[in-house]
Amino acid sequence: MRHALILLGVLIAGMGLSVEAGLLGPLGEQVGHLSATLSIFMVGALLLSLALVFSPKRHLGTLFKQPRWLLTGGILGPIYVIVLTLATPLVGVGMTMVGILCGQVAASVAIDHFGWLGSEQRKVDGYRVGALVMILAALWLM
Amino acid sequence: MLLPLIFILLLVGGAVLAAQSSINGRLGAKTGVIESAWLTFIMGAVLTFLLMFFFEPTQQATLFSVPKWQLTGALFGVVYMLAIVFAVPRVGTAAATVAVISGQLLMSLLIDHFGWLSNAVRPLDASRYVAMALLIGAIGLIYLSHQQRQHRMVNQPS
Repeated sequence: MRHALILLGVLIAGMGLSVEAGLLGPLGEQVGHLSATLSIFMVGALLLSLALVFSPKRHLGTLFKQPRWLLTGGILGPIYVIVLTLATPLVGVGMTMVGILCGQVAASVAIDHFGWLGSEQRKVDGYRVGALVMILAALWLM
Repeated sequence: MLLPLIFILLLVGGAVLAAQSSINGRLGAKTGVIESAWLTFIMGAVLTFLLMFFFEPTQQATLFSVPKWQLTGALFGVVYMLAIVFAVPRVGTAAATVAVISGQLLMSLLIDHFGWLSNAVRPLDASRYVAMALLIGAIGLIYLSHQQRQHRMVNQPS
């Protein structure tokens, strides 16, 4: 029962991701794609700064002691959001999300297979390849 | 002509997201979730500000003139992040991933069908129903893949 409630919450949170894309597309058309992307990161950064100030334990020091490549996640995020604002008005939220999912699954297979980004090397996962084929077929039908 | 280009863009967007979550997962385990998310958003804001400042063509509307509800996208991203952090230790990555993807795809098809949030209407037709069935199959396979991985981790603790 508790499990089901948590999963329902996560499902709703996932719906939020599509709402975010649905908001971004029309916003980018009006104010420009880079400005729309900036609005996401600026509001997020300010909210998280507040959260950081009031969080009980802070480890900001350890953040800057990490290897530099671990800090590059912030360069990748904007690429994803810019793609969302560009693609949504042209092909719709549905196709945008299926296309993103396709890239995600393909990359996760590659990251595992080659052991990129410091992850443990695993041999190609048949389930994921099967999922990838079905997602590609769905993308073609959308 | 435009469609293959968009397709490549979407694949890159998804690949980048997978790489980011792999990197941030590692960072978050060492420094805490709020710290790693904070750094991600600060760097994102700095980068996109610079890009916008120098490269954005002038537009009629600005972020300050559009209706405020259009600016709430970031809240959904932050809520999503918190939900994942809360749920993964309790229900496992397999179930959490499946719930996220299901919610995401379901909502995206609904937004398209009804044209919510001033998006263009793209109705659910026969081919979209077939696509949905394929996606449900894909979600099932992704669940199995995660589960198999969890078993492996239980069997060979490192």
